[in-house]
Formats: sequence, C-alpha cells, structure tokens
Amino acid sequence: MPHRIINWIDQRFPLTSFVKHELTGYPTPRNLSYWWNFGFLAGFVLMLQVATGIFLAMHYKADVALSFDSIQHIMRDVNYGWLLRYLHSTGASAFFFVIFIHMARTLYYGSYRAPRELLWWTGQGLLLLLMGTAFMGYLLPWGQMSFWGATVITNLFRATPFIGDEVVIWLRGDYTVGDATLTRFFALHYLFPFLIIGAVIVHLVALHTVKSSNPSGINLQDKDNIPFHPYFTIKDLYGLGLFLMLYSVFVFFMPDSLIEPANNIPANPMVTPNHIVPEWYFLPFYAILRSVPNMVGGVVAMGVSVLIFAFMPYLDRSRIPGGAHYRPMFRGLFYFFAIDMGVLGYIGYIPPTDQSILIGQVATFIYFTLFLLLPFLSKFEERWLMKRGLTPEIEALIASEAKEISEKRSKR
Amino acid sequence: MNKFMMVLASCCLAASALASSEVKLDTVKVGVDASTVGRGVEAMMSDCHSCHSMKYIKYRDLVSLGVDSKKVDEWRGDQPLDAALMAQMPEADAMAAYGSAPPDLSLMAKAREGGANYVYSYLLGYYTTPDGTTHNHIFPATKMPDILGMSNAKEAAERTAIQSKARDIVSYLVWASDPHAQERQSLGYYVMGYLFVLTLMLYFVKNQIWAKLK
Repeated sequence: MPHRIINWIDQRFPLTSFVKHELTGYPTPRNLSYWWNFGFLAGFVLMLQVATGIFLAMHYKADVALSFDSIQHIMRDVNYGWLLRYLHSTGASAFFFVIFIHMARTLYYGSYRAPRELLWWTGQGLLLLLMGTAFMGYLLPWGQMSFWGATVITNLFRATPFIGDEVVIWLRGDYTVGDATLTRFFALHYLFPFLIIGAVIVHLVALHTVKSSNPSGINLQDKDNIPFHPYFTIKDLYGLGLFLMLYSVFVFFMPDSLIEPANNIPANPMVTPNHIVPEWYFLPFYAILRSVPNMVGGVVAMGVSVLIFAFMPYLDRSRIPGGAHYRPMFRGLFYFFAIDMGVLGYIGYIPPTDQSILIGQVATFIYFTLFLLLPFLSKFEERWLMKRGLTPEIEALIASEAKEISEKRSKR
Repeated sequence: MNKFMMVLASCCLAASALASSEVKLDTVKVGVDASTVGRGVEAMMSDCHSCHSMKYIKYRDLVSLGVDSKKVDEWRGDQPLDAALMAQMPEADAMAAYGSAPPDLSLMAKAREGGANYVYSYLLGYYTTPDGTTHNHIFPATKMPDILGMSNAKEAAERTAIQSKARDIVSYLVWASDPHAQERQSLGYYVMGYLFVLTLMLYFVKNQIWAKLK
C-alpha cells in the first residue's frame, strides 16, 4: 500500500527522485571535517527559533504598557514559559555562534571561491536578514537596553543623505522609539524568519548546484564522493548532540549570562543607562561604528565592515587550492583577523575611554587593511608557493583526481 | 606582530583600569532552602514592604513557597490570595517623603550589574560620616534610609546578625526574580544526562556506519 501511494505521487510529483538526488543519494565529499557540520546546525537553530517563537507569540503582548509584564507572565505563569523564553533568548546567541563558525570555515577553506560565489552571496544576504531579525527581536522585551539599543541604532539612519531625519521617523513610526516602533518590530520579527527560510532554500539550491566544498579545495571526482545518507545524516546528528549539550548548559544553568541586567528594568525614555551595549554578536561591528569620530563615517564603516565579506571571491586572487590549509600566509591572515575581531568585540563591550577608543581605531584600521591587503598578498603567496612547490599530499591528490578525469574521458 | 602585541598589552591595561574604577562588591552565597527564603520573606514584609512593591509576586506564591498561611493572611489583610504584593505606602507619598519612587523589587536581583552581590553589598554598604549623615558606598545617590541599621552597628555580633538578615533578604529576592530557577536546574541535569547518552550512542552509530567505507 505505501508503495502504491508513492507510485501515485511519483507520477504527479518527483518525490522519490527528489529525495534520492537531493537528500539520500546527494554526493558529498568524504573528507569533510566537523567544521562542515555548522550549516546543518544553523538550519536546526532556525527551526528551533521559529518553533519557540510561535509559542512565545501566543503569550506575548506587543504594547509598551504590557510587553514587559507579558514577558514576566511567560516566565512565571505560563506552563514551561520560562523554558520557551530561555530557549529562544539563548537560541539567538546560538544562531550567531554557529553562523560565525560557518562563515569562519568558509573563509578559512576558501569555500567562497569560484564556482561558489553565489552560494557565498546568498549566505551574506542571510546574515543581513539574521542581523535584522535579531535586532528587532531585542526590542520586544521592552527593557532599558531594548529601548536604548533600538534608539541608538535607528538613529544611525540619520546618516542617510538628504532624507535622514525622515527615514528615522519612517522606521520608528514616531519621533521617538515608542508603541508604533514596538508593534512594527514585532510584525517584522515574525515575518523575517519566513524570509530567512525562503533564502535558505535559495542557499541550498545554490549549494546543490555547485556541491559542497571540502578541505582539499579541489573538486573531487566520483570516487571520493559518498552519499549524504547515511554518512552525513549520522555525522550531522552526532554534531547536533554535541551542540545541544553546549546549548543546554546555557539554557538550563546560565540563561541570564546572555541577557544584560539593564534589560530587567522596564524601558524608561527619561533615564539613559550608564552604558548602552548591544548583544555580543554585534559588538565588533559596534566597535567599528564607535571608532570613527564622524557619525556618517562610522555608519558607512560599520556597513562596509559587514558587506566587505561579499568581495572575498575577488579579493582573494590565489588559485592555490584548499584555502588556508595549504596557504601559510593566508592562514596567518585568517588568525590575525580572528584575533582582531576578538579585540573589536572587547572594545565594543567596555565603556569608551581615550585608551579604548585608540585601540578600537587601531583594530578597525587592521580590520579593513587585512581585506585590502589580501589581493596583493594572495598573488604574492601564489607565486611563492608555485616556486616552492606544494606539499606532496596535495600534489598526490591533484594527480589522482586528474587521473580519474582522464580515465572517465577515455571511457567515453 | 609588534603592533599586535602592543594592542594586546594596552587591552590588558584597559581591562585593569576598568576593573579598578568600579566599587568592589561583597560576595554572598545565596540560600535556596525554604528556611532561608522564608526568613527572607519575613524580613522583607517587615522592613521593605511598606515602601517597595513586588508586583510579580502574589500572596499565593508565598504560601506555595512554604510560608505559614496564617502569617500570609495577616500580611494580606482583606486582599485576595491572588493579589500582588503592592507597597503599603502610595507611590506619591513615597515620592514626597524620599524624593524618588521606591523601585519594584521583583526583578531587583537580576536588574543590576553584579546581581545578588550588588543588592547584598548595597544593603550593607551604609556608613556614617563624622558630621552625622548616612551614605552608601555602593549607590551614593540612594534615597533609601539605612533600613537594616548597618551604619549604627558597632558590635561584631550585631553586624553579623545584620549580614545574615541581608543574606536572607537577598535569597528571597533571587527566588522572586526567577521562581522557576530550581525547577530549571533540576530539569537541566536530566536533559544533560539524556543528551550525553544520546550523543554517545550517536557517536558509536556514526563510527559503525563510517567503518563500512573503504
């Protein structure tokens, strides 16, 4: 009977062939390391956020007079409301955590290079959508940090040429962040995840067109590809188990470590907190914003610091395969960049002093310099490596893949 | 690389400069047992409740916490069990008397940097200057009088008694800021145990499946 039902469907819709091509039989490089688990984890966290978010929305009230109380209602009176809320608030951090690692893997192994530019750019779009969703979600508890964070960030749109003031009012729906802002942020916070799901589908279509990259950086021939199921389904599930353990430590034992104390005070437009900080995942970009003395310049620098990743396929001019794996200079650059991000994050967190502003400016300068240095350094490194010769390991892999291709040709 | 070392070094300097500019908080080991929290409720009702509300806590919550229901009945008077713990003094009167509205205490243990340690240090942070006025180390702008009497306590025994009372109050405030914390943690141990076993099994299954590959 089930067989007959599937036959009936298959005559009308390519169910079996779709599952076979895109899921069970989807050819995947056998040498993927655990760093390739994070795309799946991001998808999982997205589903978790949508699921917990829908149930939270059933108890939440988007109204400046009610929203803070409704969060406490969820935390105290709703059955397992505290669990839903902590899963969701910790989930936001978890989402950025896995996405940052997913991006770092792409950068380290050069997975953005041809033919995967569109895959990388759809990912860049997803990052922007995620940032927007997280930012708007942070206003909803209507705490002090929610209110002042939203005030500071919407205020940045004053940097828009000619119509800056109008844009800010249009975004807020009022002259200040208020009820109109809260209700529209709630509406958009509910909408954006579904845009993200759509963009994820585009991201996956692009992935399945060009197939996964792998640590060697070479497009592997059939002999080195294995079906996604069962090899990577089980590997992803094992990785999920590890991830859930880390996530649960935060959800069950230290959920408040990810919530600013000031957000446990209801929003008060008359009292500015001593120190306005964004969530940890925005800190490096916030530090870049503060490092530029001029407001318009700061906004432009912050925007460029996020969007500059999109230029990676063109900034990296080396044709040496395997990203940082076989490229010592690029590897050095990668780690230097990671440390610089850490420094920027720390500077974004602490209250600004003369000294911290200076460090922030140096780190911002390094941030952009590394990107601008890359075209020259990657070309120089390529020449240097060509002259010196690649490691025997990669030479052997290139030779064996070339043999596979020529054998295939001769068979035809 | 030198530049990088310099940045790192100045980061460390900035961190230490930042730490020294903040007032050092006393650390308190918060009690989660019913007797400590119960004593905290009583201290709260006698010393704080006249001015401070706890609007997210109902009298019924105190009963389910294990406080003697006769005492709860005494406190609530003719209010229903489901009434929130609102301050006895109207906010306008408090404004007139102290110059600022006493904050609601439901989330106080979470609403300040330092959490429970902050509240504990603040309650004990009162001192008297030679000219006879009382101030607070932790929150110099405070309008609240030294309700526990730390600034006048000279004898060691008296100071210890005040400290233990402050600890009771803070323990109650920590409970009130997150009444499900105990339930959350005990559930957390089961979740961690379950995930550990599950992940271990997934690891073995993964090895078994991948062993089939040549």
